[in-house]
Formats: sequence, C-alpha cells, structure tokens
Amino acid sequence: MSDTPKLAAFRTEVRGWLEVNAPHGWRERYKAGSHEQFAREQKKWFLKLVEGGYAVPHWPKEWPGGGRSLAEQKVFYEELARADCPRLLLTFVATYHAAATLMECGNDAQKARYLPGILKGDVWCQGFSEPGAGSDLAALKCKGDLRGDRYVINGQKVWSTMAQYADKCLLLVRTSSEGAKQAGITFLLMDMKSNGIEVRPINQIQGDQEYCEVFLDDVEIPVEDRVGEEGKGWAVAQATLSSERGLTLMELTYRMRGALRRIADLIRETGREDDRGILRDFGQLVARCDSACAIADRFIDNRMKGVESIGDAQIVKNTYSRVLREYSLLGTRLGGMHEQYRWPITFGDLNTGNWMADFMNSYAWTIAGGSEEVQRNIIAERMLEMPREPKGWVL
Amino acid sequence: MSDELLQELRDSAQKAFPADKLAPPRDAAWQLAAEMGWLMITLPEDQGGLGLPRSAAIAVHFELGRVLSTAPLIPALLALEGISAAEGLADRAGWVERICGGEYVPLNMLPGTAAGDATIDGRLSGFFEADMAGHVLAGIPGRYVLIPTDAPGVTVVERPLWDESRRMFDIELSGFKPDPALVVAEGEAAKVLHDVISPVAQLAIAADSLGGATACLDMTVEYLKTRKQFDRPLAMFQALKHRCADLKTHVVAAEALLWERTGDESASVIDLGVTKALANDTYRMVVEEAIQLHGGIGLTAEHNCHLFMKRAMLNAQLSGSIDHWREAAGRQALAEFA
Repeated sequence: MSDTPKLAAFRTEVRGWLEVNAPHGWRERYKAGSHEQFAREQKKWFLKLVEGGYAVPHWPKEWPGGGRSLAEQKVFYEELARADCPRLLLTFVATYHAAATLMECGNDAQKARYLPGILKGDVWCQGFSEPGAGSDLAALKCKGDLRGDRYVINGQKVWSTMAQYADKCLLLVRTSSEGAKQAGITFLLMDMKSNGIEVRPINQIQGDQEYCEVFLDDVEIPVEDRVGEEGKGWAVAQATLSSERGLTLMELTYRMRGALRRIADLIRETGREDDRGILRDFGQLVARCDSACAIADRFIDNRMKGVESIGDAQIVKNTYSRVLREYSLLGTRLGGMHEQYRWPITFGDLNTGNWMADFMNSYAWTIAGGSEEVQRNIIAERMLEMPREPKGWVL
Repeated sequence: MSDELLQELRDSAQKAFPADKLAPPRDAAWQLAAEMGWLMITLPEDQGGLGLPRSAAIAVHFELGRVLSTAPLIPALLALEGISAAEGLADRAGWVERICGGEYVPLNMLPGTAAGDATIDGRLSGFFEADMAGHVLAGIPGRYVLIPTDAPGVTVVERPLWDESRRMFDIELSGFKPDPALVVAEGEAAKVLHDVISPVAQLAIAADSLGGATACLDMTVEYLKTRKQFDRPLAMFQALKHRCADLKTHVVAAEALLWERTGDESASVIDLGVTKALANDTYRMVVEEAIQLHGGIGLTAEHNCHLFMKRAMLNAQLSGSIDHWREAAGRQALAEFA
C-alpha cells in the first residue's frame, strides 16, 4: 500500500531524523559490553527518541510526541526497522504496559505522579507471573495484606523483564482467597527501591539476563498506589496486557525480513549458491517470512479500519514465532560446526547472526507473552468455537 | 477494488455455488459460471469485459476452490488472458466474444512433448475437460496455437485422474498442420504471452487451493464438534484442538500473502509462484490432517475428505512444482540480498 501525502511527509521526516540520530555501531557495543552497558545504551537511545518526539507515538496528543495515528506509528516502526535501530527493551513495559494501565485505570494523582517520569527514562517492570502461575496467571498467590494505610506484600514473582534495572513495578497480588480466583486479585504500583525487595536475574540458556525473579518480604506499598479497587485487579491487568496491539510483531517481522540477508550471506560464505536443496529451503523461508509480514500488516490495517476478531492477534504471534524458529534453524544448519562454538552474544536483538543464540532466543516468542499453546487454545476455542474442557479434575 | 465489492462478489459466488454441494455436476456448473459473467471478469472493458482488477478473479477462484468446482474456469480464463492479449491473432475479437459467451477453450496446464514447425507431432498434457472443447489453446515451446479437437492428426485422450472433481485430457498430435489463422503467438510474442499468463495461473491455483483448504478445515472442525467418543465431543480434546489451531494459522497466513501479492502489481512471477507453492503446501497439510482427524470415515469413498485430498495433490503439480518455485525464490532472494 502506498503512503498518503501526509504519511509520505511523515516518513521523510522520520527517515531524516534517523539518519542523523540513529545509534550507529550499536551492535558492536551491545555485543562487546556487559549487560549493564547494554542497559545504559538503551536508556540513552530512549532519551534521544524522547528529545526527537518519537518515544511515545501511541500516547495521547497532550504528551510531547504523542497523538500519532496508527498509520503513522506503522510508518515509524517500518522506518526504525529499515534503519536497523535497536529495539527499546528497557523502557518497553514503561511506555506500553505502565502507561496504558495508568491512562485507562489510574486516578489523576497517579497519572500526575508517574507518567511524566516515564518520559524521563523511568524503567518499569511487570510483577505478574509466579512460579505457580504462568499460563494460569489468575492462580497467583503473592499476598497483599491491608494494614492501615498500606499493603504488606509477601511472595515471589518471576519472568520480570529488566527488573534488575527497574524503578517501578506493576504488581498483581492476592488480597482475598474467596470466590473465583480472579476476584481476589489487586493491582498495585510498587517502588522498586522499597525495603524487602530482592531481585535476582535469571541466567538464560544463551547467556542473556533479560528476566528476573523478584522476592518480596514484607514490602510496604501505600494504599494510594493501588490501581482500581481492591479485588478488581484482574480487569486492570487486562488493560495492561492489551496495551500493545500488533505493532511490535509487525516491527519484528519486518526486521526478520531484512535479516534474511544474513542467511543469503551465509549461503555465499559456505559456497552453497548452487545447492538446490538449500535454495529451496531458503525460498520457502522467504515465502513464510513474507506471509508473516502480510498477516502482521493485515492485522494493523484491520485495526485501522476498526475490524478485529478474536484470535487474529494470536495467529499473528504464532506465525511470527514459528517463522523465527525456522529462520534461526536454517542459520544453524548452514553455519554447521562453526555455530557450535560459543561466540559472544549481542544483547537485545533476535536476528544477530549468532545462530545458536538466535535459535535459543527464539523461544522467547513461543513461550513469553502467552505461550504458543495458550494462543492455540484461544484460536481453537474462540475462533474455531471448539468446546472448552470441563473445569476441574478429580483423580 | 473495495472490500465491500469483493465481499459482494464472494457472496454471490457462495449463493451460486453453495458450500453443501461439493463437486456439482460439471455441465450445469460450467453454464452457471458463464452466466455469472466470470469469464469476462478481468477482461478489459474495451474488449467487452468487466475490466475488474485481478483480485475479483481471485475471489471467485477462492470460492470455487471451496466447493471443489467442476467448472474449469481457471484453464478457460488463462486461455482468454492469452487470446485477448494476442494482437497477431486473426479474428481475435470473435474468439474473445465466443469465449465470453461460454464457448470453452482451455489452456494446457502441464508441459508436453509436442514439437515441430509446419507439422507438429507429439503429446500435449494437462487439458481439463477437453471433451467439451471445440478448440484448445496449446502452449508449445516458442508458440501458442489454437487446435480444433476434431482436426486431422488430433486425438483427444482422457487420462483418468485420482482427482474426482476434474477430468484431464492429453492431446496427441500426429502430422498436425496448424492453421495460420489460429496461431495466437510465435517467437518473441509467445514469450511475452507466457509472461502475461503465468502470473495469472499462479494466483488462480493458489486461490483455488486456499479456498479448498479453508472449506476442508471448516468441515474437519465441524466433524470434531459432532463426533463423540469417551462421552465428549472430540473437539474438546486439546491434542486435536491444537492441531486445528495450527492449521488455521497456516491457512490464514498463506491467505494473507495471497491477497497481498494479488494487490501488488510489481510482484514478480517468482513471488507469485512461491505464493502458489505455499498455498499448495498449506492445502496438503490441511487435507493430510483432515483424513487423520476424521478417522476411519475419512478413508471411505462416501465421505468428502478424499475429494479435497485428491484435488490438493493435483493442484501442487499444476503450473510449476513446489520445488521449482521454492528454488527460484531462493535464487531470487540471493540476488535481492547480493
């Protein structure tokens, strides 16, 4: 689809800005350095985007850089992918999840207290999942006791992305064990500098430390940091989780499309240009990648027209995550033994050309953010209308 | 073409060819397809056609694939595409008019061995429903010629297919002398014509395949909802649900690519060929699982599963194989990322 004149002008503007401001050579710096250095680089890039007015295009227009239409946001992410800019991992939860939660469900005082900080680089993390509450999030047990004007929190959270750098946390706690398990959940905003918080980064199989465990031992949270009413946190969490609707996947599929170059280079480097088997597998991967781009595009276009059916988002995610797996596996195959040596990894990117690391990292998309299996259930039960299994089971 | 118009076209196709009547009797189906105006759907208006964009034809092929259409619209439209673009053909206007009026002239959809110059000998393959054709359009290396099926030196031989929704014929030529008035294109012009026809063929077969895949998956999901074992519908078992969800994901993603490429006039024939290959493979995945998920009944001739399966497997052989297009797409991408 070609741009309208207004969109074309916006594209030119963004492209021009990125030419001057994109952080060139970031891959080398993200590779050579420590995880802390990666976090510093991320913050620098985020603040640069804030300065340019591009950090929060999805926010309302009252905010600097906000009020961009979905079509403009799409252009913006296409240009970020085109310029091969680093993705914003450090501040992602802040600008999407925290912002959406506050804007949709927060009171005026909470908005005034927390939203401006996000544009100054405050890092937020999410305290949702627990060791016993993954796909079944509503089974969470982390306890919140209201004592006077504060909640006292005890329990454990896990898979909190970038929690080791976080200033604040979106926290789900159980304030009641009566009734349906969703009914006793309360949504709190936690200051990560509070007493009683211990954050332990999780060592991932490819050597990254994107996620953390968070241990909470008598952590006190003032009652004014509760979002919504006590016991109504589940509904607030839905607002948090639906804040990011397709643009990230669109950006990621476009980046993967561009990163097919790495496979092409590898085919040449390994002298396989006339290996018909490899060419077929590459051709099939390209087609799958193009089809992932097409479905991500269509999802955004439908949203712009106000058409979205249940299951659409799940199909986009499962398509991308599978093609990403196929992409990284073809890389490991072509790379051969070379990929079995442990080369340094590049933080914050899914298509780095370190094929074993990319293969392992691709599980982030088949497991995190609602596992492939949970997405399949949604597609089957809500799109194909296949009946749910009966609740509860007895041995 | 607007989404609304496209939807109207789909609705009218579904009305004419309802989903519960799979593989309807051929002659009536062909007549109905002609009456619906589908033969002239993309033909330019100045040649008496409707002049609709290719998305309109794709929508119709999708719907016809859904009902395992016996009406050979694809080979007829491919022949018309060639004839309407053939400036060298004597009486081009007459041919176009007769074809739009329902005279069936198919293009061969498989390569053959026929060769020659003043006289042609050998075999041409892949003519669908040639028993109802007075003429066929034969793509021979370096040439496109119209061949009267009753001319001296021409024998029409049916080649029984596994696919029960279509019939296919070879044409055997022995000392056949082409009529100069029936030569559609030669030499450079034949190459140009091939490049006009091939993209249309890729998209049409892709659409037929994804229409069939959609219907076959719907049918399978419906069956799982009604079939009960262990005191519950099979559709309740997560092991089966997940397989259906994955098939749905594949079908929807392949369809998204089909529509994107249909609307992209700059897409190369390789882009379209590999779109067809993806559609072929998706159809194969669906029919393969459909029989397994239906269980024993899926292996019986009285159930419809096998009809989809056989059509899917044949579609993968038409207008270039999956392997051919994947390899070409691989080479094209190597050049793109040179």
